[in-house]
Amino acid sequence: MSLDDKLKSLRENGIDEAKRAQRLQELNDLRVNLLGKKGPITKALRGMKDVPAEQRPEIGTLANNVKKDIQQAIEEKMTELNEKLVAHQLEEEKIDVTLPAAKQIQGTKHILNQTIEDIEQFFIGLGYEVAPGYEVEEDHYNFERLNIPKDHPARDMQDTFYLSDELLMRTQTSAQEGRDMEAHDFTKGPLKMISPGVVYRRDDDDATHSHQFHQIEGLVVDKNISMADLKGTLEALCRHVFGAQREIRFRPSYFPFTEPSVEVDVSCFNCDGKGCRICKYTGWIEVLGAGLTHPNVLKMSGIDPNEYSGMAFGLGPERFAMLKYGINDIRDFYLNDVRFLEQFKGVN
Amino acid sequence: MKISVNWLKEYIPVTHTVEEMANKISLTGIESSPVELGTELTGLVVGHVTSVKPHPDSDHLKVCMVDIGEDEDVQIVCGAPNVAADQYVIVATHGAHLPDGVRIKRGKLRGQESNGMICGLDEVGVPAKYMPEEFENGIYVFDEPQKPGTAVYDLLGLKDKMVDIDITPNRADTLGMRGAAWEIGATYDEKPNFKKPELNADKIKDLNEVDVEVEEKSLVPDYLLRELKDVKVGKSPLWMQRRLWNQGIRPVNSVIDAANYVMIEYGQPIQAYDLDKLVEKKLVIKKAQDGDKLKLADEDKVLNHNDLIIASGEDILGVAGIVNGTVAQVDENSKNILLEAGVFDGASVRKTAQRHDLRDDASNRFEKGVDNGIVSEALVRATQLVDEISGAKEISKEIVGNYTEAKPTVIEGSVSHINHLMGLELSTDEMVGILDRLGFSVKVDGDKITVTIPTRRWDMAIEADLVEEVNRIYGYENLPNTLPAGMETRGGYSQKREFSNKLRDVLLGEGMDEVINFSLLSKKEVDDFNTLNTEYTKLLHPMTEDHEYLRNSLIPGLVRNIAYNQARNNNDLSIFEQARIFARPKGQTRPNEIEYLSGAISGNVISDSWNTKSQKIDFYYLKGIVDEVLSFTNADAKFEYEATADYANMHPGQTAKILANGQVVGLIGKLHPKYQKDHNVDETFVFELNIDALFELNEKSIKSQSAPKYPSVSRDLAILVKSDVENAQIISDIYENGGKYLNNVTIFDVYEGKNIKTNYKSLAYHLEFLNPNDTLTDEEVEKAFSLVKDSLVEKFNVEIR
Ligand SMILES: [Zn+2]
Repeated sequence: MSLDDKLKSLRENGIDEAKRAQRLQELNDLRVNLLGKKGPITKALRGMKDVPAEQRPEIGTLANNVKKDIQQAIEEKMTELNEKLVAHQLEEEKIDVTLPAAKQIQGTKHILNQTIEDIEQFFIGLGYEVAPGYEVEEDHYNFERLNIPKDHPARDMQDTFYLSDELLMRTQTSAQEGRDMEAHDFTKGPLKMISPGVVYRRDDDDATHSHQFHQIEGLVVDKNISMADLKGTLEALCRHVFGAQREIRFRPSYFPFTEPSVEVDVSCFNCDGKGCRICKYTGWIEVLGAGLTHPNVLKMSGIDPNEYSGMAFGLGPERFAMLKYGINDIRDFYLNDVRFLEQFKGVN
Repeated sequence: MKISVNWLKEYIPVTHTVEEMANKISLTGIESSPVELGTELTGLVVGHVTSVKPHPDSDHLKVCMVDIGEDEDVQIVCGAPNVAADQYVIVATHGAHLPDGVRIKRGKLRGQESNGMICGLDEVGVPAKYMPEEFENGIYVFDEPQKPGTAVYDLLGLKDKMVDIDITPNRADTLGMRGAAWEIGATYDEKPNFKKPELNADKIKDLNEVDVEVEEKSLVPDYLLRELKDVKVGKSPLWMQRRLWNQGIRPVNSVIDAANYVMIEYGQPIQAYDLDKLVEKKLVIKKAQDGDKLKLADEDKVLNHNDLIIASGEDILGVAGIVNGTVAQVDENSKNILLEAGVFDGASVRKTAQRHDLRDDASNRFEKGVDNGIVSEALVRATQLVDEISGAKEISKEIVGNYTEAKPTVIEGSVSHINHLMGLELSTDEMVGILDRLGFSVKVDGDKITVTIPTRRWDMAIEADLVEEVNRIYGYENLPNTLPAGMETRGGYSQKREFSNKLRDVLLGEGMDEVINFSLLSKKEVDDFNTLNTEYTKLLHPMTEDHEYLRNSLIPGLVRNIAYNQARNNNDLSIFEQARIFARPKGQTRPNEIEYLSGAISGNVISDSWNTKSQKIDFYYLKGIVDEVLSFTNADAKFEYEATADYANMHPGQTAKILANGQVVGLIGKLHPKYQKDHNVDETFVFELNIDALFELNEKSIKSQSAPKYPSVSRDLAILVKSDVENAQIISDIYENGGKYLNNVTIFDVYEGKNIKTNYKSLAYHLEFLNPNDTLTDEEVEKAFSLVKDSLVEKFNVEIR
């Protein structure tokens, strides 16, 4: 057999063997056996000396091509086997993704605090400072500075827990108004604050009453505050909390520390004002009380009502949350059943 | 107060439905709701009883023939004891609808045909407590003949339409029909017309028979009387009775009814006395003496020296402005009577009424105020009504106990300022027009307006009141929506609030749910965790024993939450609260309010699952959370845990005080097993941290450093040491002796028990050495490591293993 034929037959056999290989090891062996220094090609090339000189370059090229072709066949087969191997591994590693997770738990912020913080953030965006007050307050700030002297009938509207003749559990976060007004330096600009916190009333606890609940008081005092400003501010708030389509309306009311005083209704978010159980078929839901700061209240804080005016509003986070999430019993907020608490994950 | 449309029509035209009116009044003035009585009623007509025969088979039933305006009389069986021939009665005919879904059908009663029912007032919708006493146990009988077959609704006011106004305390001017007419008129731009009451001039005499003395003139600015002689007390006319029972007032007799009627009409309470029952013909208005008694129909009220009374000689006739006793009550035999119209101090009336639980229609009006401009007129009106109905022979002139001239309020304001406060630009004419609708007279002088307010609007005092009146009548719906346009302000939380928010977020991140508890605790609860050793703060008048004291710790609330949840099979719990506690220093009445952050965990950290084993909560788990909170305080402070057995309800071997620079800022530990058992909670660990104290610590100043580029070198150290030596002691000694390259020490094994001698434990530490500027040599590390070992042997007598 000529060298030429020998090489060609080696190529044929080599490629054939590579194609037949089943395992990577066979291919590695094949590579070492066929292409190694002791392999048949190297051996065959020793017969080069018998080839006429002018044919030697041709045979050399052939030998290189044979090596290359066999190498290629081995590599192709290796790739094929590797792919099979990976596919097998993937098949083996298949899991049931519907089995439950290894729990990673974040706690849930209390829904009242979520509600309060949502409202705080709204007002912070409008340039309001958040100023908490005292929960134990003086009669002076809780009532008298709010234009509610000792014998005022309005004191009947809120039965009070007293600690002494002069100290009480604050019945309203409005108690903070006097303190904020006297502390504020009006040469530095308007007073804009909200005061969130806990208040207390002598009420029996039932589905709609709690002897302890939350309020957020808002107060703005500046040279040009008007009822229109109050309406615009509260409509923006109600849209933030209850949805962009909401409208508000004012109804006349009475609070000793505001004049005019209004109750604020928001158009029903459940029925869009058409009338439903939640809005008692009126299309409107009462959400808060507000008004322009009574001139006496400004005067008692050393502010000239001819120069300055103020607007104030007070809202109940419990009421907001109850409306928004359909909570029927105010006691649920304070029982702290974790099944109740955890349903409000990340709602605000 | 319910405003009857029929009554209102006497003063202003009414063209709207009660729904529309209630809505409009709510939006412009006073919260109102529509009331329509008797909408369900049908088939009720006047019947004339032509004959009454006993029922053949019944002792109490009677067989009546009744003319109901049809061709023939109908037979109706009736069980009422007071039914009699020739009465005009209410008949519910066959097919009639009565309240509560009752339907009347033709039928037989004990064999006798009955074609309907003769009704009592309560059966057709008048509440039993408001109907005349004489009809309480029987059918209603008209006083005067009526046309048989006519509907009874208008005669008895059974289908009255009303607007129920729910007044705020400042708008008591609408607690009378006339005031309500002004208010409703203003919303519809209608001025009410009122007839001025007049007395028969021929009857007025200078009687000079009754004397009056007002001792407390400051509490009784007005006190007027009129005497009527020789009246015949009887029943008041039906038109008056039906208006009264629809107002929730029971008709009694022609005098008392007239007095009550005027109260509704004018808002001015009127009292009546039987002059012949007075021991002296003199009334004295004075303070009671402690122990004085007021005789009421069903009880005696013991008065005290703050109560203002109307007295005659030794007799106490009534408590001023609230209620009259039985002593001088007007009854059907009374002949000579006194009518009283007074104004009594609201605060005094309020306190007395509260004290004796006697709040009623009259006291409600005096508490909120009455129009002292119409006292005299209201008395004339009452006198006129009594005279018209009960026929007096003679009427006295006004007898004056005290009189204060009613002066209209004058308010000055500026059109521009009022506009400015509303955020509107009304013209002077528009504004004056609105004030005129309210019956206020206005003088204009350029921008300045001078508004004269009639005495009926005593709530009006200052310019801000004008703002409200103008704005509400103009319509709040017409206000634009604007935002305050002043100087820009920077909003935000206080630094302390930012600080506590940050710490709260750590706990949320650690998987703890936030709870909110009540601040008021029981005596036992404040005793249980008085960790600050503070004086308690107690409510003066607590409502229940559960809520008597201000909390001095958040732990009792958290324990209550754990118990509540575990009772409902929510067993694995991790909760926290951030709120105030109240600590009162000795000698101070006001408690300090301190922000605390407290948490409680119970049950498993990880529960059993298909691929994990459950892990029970322990001290170190909670300590890890607390450490993380403390690291987020960013405080330049040394935090330490110091074992303590100081707290009675904490486990003495698993509790530590948390110290910052040696000061106690909190505690952590396990609840005492006995306490756990008493409170029905599983093994529970709690912590509390004083946020205010942590906030006061200096902020760490952080200068950033690049992460070291040289590798660290580690050594492990295992020692055998007496059980009572604490890890913290060992660690601090290692740091002390480990040289400047000792970077970190961690404990990685603690073992007691098998193969260890009794009262000893084996501890293993991992020491990490690092020179940020160079590679450490073995010799350097070995040298430091031996110094560490030598010191431990010397100080703690440890055995190096
Ligand atoms: Zn609705």
